Amino acid sequence: MGRYTKHPFWQSLAVVVVSYALIRWGIAYLPGLVGITSAPVPASVVLQYTAIVLVGVLVWVSDNEERWTRFKEPIHAALVEPDKKVVRMSMMAVVPLLVAFATFNNVRPTISAPASLRSIHPAPPTQITFRGETIVLEGLENPLREPDLEEAAFELGKELYYQNCMPCHGDYLNAGGHYAPGFNPTPLELRGSSTIAQLTESFVFWRIAKGGPGLPREGGPWNSAMPVWEDFLTADEIWAVTLFLYDQAGIAPRTWEEEGIEE
Amino acid sequence: MRSQTRLPAAVAALLGLSALHPSPAGAQDVERGREVYEQWCSQCHGSEGDGQGPAAEYMIPRPRDFTTGLYQIRSTATGELPTDEDILRIINEGMPGTTMPGWEEELSGADREALVAYIKTFSQFFETLGAPEPLEFPGAPGASEERIAEGRLFYDSIQCFECHGAEGRGDGEASSTLQDDLGNPIRSADLWKAWTFNGGSTVEDIYQRLRTGLDGTPMPNFSDLIDAGFMTDDQLWNLAHYVRSLSPEETPTPEEVIVVGQVAPGELPGQLADERWGQAESFYVPLVGQIIENPRWFDPSVDGVWVQALHDGSEVAFRLTWHDRSRSPDPGWLEWQGWVLDAMAPREGENLEPAPRPDGITVQFPPTIPEGMDMPYFLMGDGSNPVYQWQWSSVPGTAVKAAARGLDIYEPLGAEGLTSEAAWEAGRWQLLLRRALVPADPASELQFEIGVPIPIAFFAWDGDNSEEGARGSVSSWYFIQLEEETPPSTYMAPLVAFLFTGGLGVLVVRRAQRRDREVQAAAAGIVLPPEPRPQMARNFGFAVGALWLLFALAAAGNSVGGWAAGQTDVGFWWAVITGFLTIAASVALIGTARHRYQGPRKS
Repeated sequence: MGRYTKHPFWQSLAVVVVSYALIRWGIAYLPGLVGITSAPVPASVVLQYTAIVLVGVLVWVSDNEERWTRFKEPIHAALVEPDKKVVRMSMMAVVPLLVAFATFNNVRPTISAPASLRSIHPAPPTQITFRGETIVLEGLENPLREPDLEEAAFELGKELYYQNCMPCHGDYLNAGGHYAPGFNPTPLELRGSSTIAQLTESFVFWRIAKGGPGLPREGGPWNSAMPVWEDFLTADEIWAVTLFLYDQAGIAPRTWEEEGIEE
Repeated sequence: MRSQTRLPAAVAALLGLSALHPSPAGAQDVERGREVYEQWCSQCHGSEGDGQGPAAEYMIPRPRDFTTGLYQIRSTATGELPTDEDILRIINEGMPGTTMPGWEEELSGADREALVAYIKTFSQFFETLGAPEPLEFPGAPGASEERIAEGRLFYDSIQCFECHGAEGRGDGEASSTLQDDLGNPIRSADLWKAWTFNGGSTVEDIYQRLRTGLDGTPMPNFSDLIDAGFMTDDQLWNLAHYVRSLSPEETPTPEEVIVVGQVAPGELPGQLADERWGQAESFYVPLVGQIIENPRWFDPSVDGVWVQALHDGSEVAFRLTWHDRSRSPDPGWLEWQGWVLDAMAPREGENLEPAPRPDGITVQFPPTIPEGMDMPYFLMGDGSNPVYQWQWSSVPGTAVKAAARGLDIYEPLGAEGLTSEAAWEAGRWQLLLRRALVPADPASELQFEIGVPIPIAFFAWDGDNSEEGARGSVSSWYFIQLEEETPPSTYMAPLVAFLFTGGLGVLVVRRAQRRDREVQAAAAGIVLPPEPRPQMARNFGFAVGALWLLFALAAAGNSVGGWAAGQTDVGFWWAVITGFLTIAASVALIGTARHRYQGPRKS
């Protein structure tokens, strides 16, 4: 065993294999531990990171003449020694087959939808025109978040949400509405720490007021089913729904101080 | 209070079971139940539990009115109260086919238990009548062809078709006359869509509905008839098996890309009834109410369309299949239209009166295949980006082409080159649409290309459900992709890669071995005899040359094929590749032939 663990060739091989496994599966596993939804690591990232590890390993083994010679030993042995004939022959069969298979996978015609590169949180405009009136979004707070207005606003927002928004965004604000499976991209989940919890209320106001068609190009306005709510609701009603969303989901909006803008 | 913490599902299930045994709900339970109810249930079911929350009018069927003690899904006999477990099950799993979601993952076991206790306080019957007993059933017999065939006969003999239709698609004679106990319109279940069954989709669920009936709806129970000896339990199980057999095992899920299969030239099915459609893969596209632009519609009738598509290299044909309870306009449904229009909020827009309206479906594409990710707005385009449409309507019954720039803003493009055939039978529309890949007018119409994803979206209307204009059901963008023949290069490239890598391997090994021999010989002071004349290498050279020549011939074939198909770019680039391969082959052949062996290489 020690023959392998102390040998630079097998050490290098182990480092590369373990790094690949960590990059491929380990990174994707981490967010789940703290309750954030995860996604597979893109193949290009895996390739890039593994290549960096490989270069690092090669620099390390070739840094020292003796280590470099020892590193080459198993490779040389596999190439020339008569008793390694089986290893040699199987490598010469397996490697070209793998290369051929990879080539086939690359060139065969596949059926898949084109990659959608839409931005989920596009940059908001500094001001919008709401029903002919200019509203400056920067530094804007929810006018209904006042002690004497909040309760009535919550009740109004609740009523409006369940009449208008629930079919897509769901009873539990978890994008689980009965119309949600009909749309792609799927409606935004409103609870949790990763969506509106990261946004100011003015951003949410803008998104509700202008809907899908009001998205900038990078947001993919052609495929969003979010209605333009200024056609249906008044500004106060949209602020009431905004307030309700945060309170019902039990999260707080991002403030302008956090954004680094003084009021 | 049993527990304050969020419990794992297994423990929650145990708690649910324990709820079977009558135990007086604590005041604490009821108080917690009230809080949860106010936060998550009152919007639809109302703070008073009367099913008249602020959102109730946006839903058909309406949310349950808890004050009457009348429950649709129970394990108890008709007219009886549900058990605690029955109520908990609906809270946990929701009611498929309605707006009621499941809460098993969302609320803790203790909260859901507390909700059961609180919901029961809305009706005095739970206190006065005592705990109900669930009906005892024998276990389900296994499904078999015979049982299903028997069930089919029994379906006819007890006249299920009156409401559910001859083939079970919910299109029976009486289906336009159905109301629930509150006077709201109610649709008979479409038995081909088990995933929309309010009480669940298993054979056991279906059987239990047959035994208990759906209280508050026109669906009767059959326990009385069994007790009276008019039918047997076994016959009812056969019926349950038949009903289950109408739906697919799994709920259909949409695929982002609809594959347009390739058939031999001239083999494209020209008619709806063509048997070859049976082999074409079917793709499900869910449709939901158009609730985006005014006037919105929260009660759509068409909830999905199955798409089959084939092409033969010069034409493309689609067969669309969707369920619709009537062939609109049908005067028998005018009264139904009135009920639906009265019941549904919001009452936006005009033409909110019952009227003879046709059924329809529109298939939309972008006018040209998008280069990047940009597409026209999925809801029939907008002022700057139109969509190209095929609009079909049951009146007059043919399809026409159009360019749309928003809901109901379109410019007709005639019907030239677009063939259609439609048939309505037993609650189902089928529509065949066929057009050449190259359009009559390339300036305004989409040209289909092979092997490229092309956006597609749908919009459907059920006229007898008062749908027209913006009131209908929609899908977002999907893609179709016309299958392409696998080009020979697909097999050639891996072969080349294999030979190249293998050859490289042989070279590396031979070099390493020769050097090793030389090193050892030098160490021992031996002079190696000269290498024999490498006949092997000569043969190898000729073999490589011949192989390149073969590739060159294949490339030339591709090139000629490309020119012949009118794809000049394909023809041109394969010609270039042919040129390079020919040069490579000649160099290998001539070089090997002219090469004279001059003894081992000196180093």
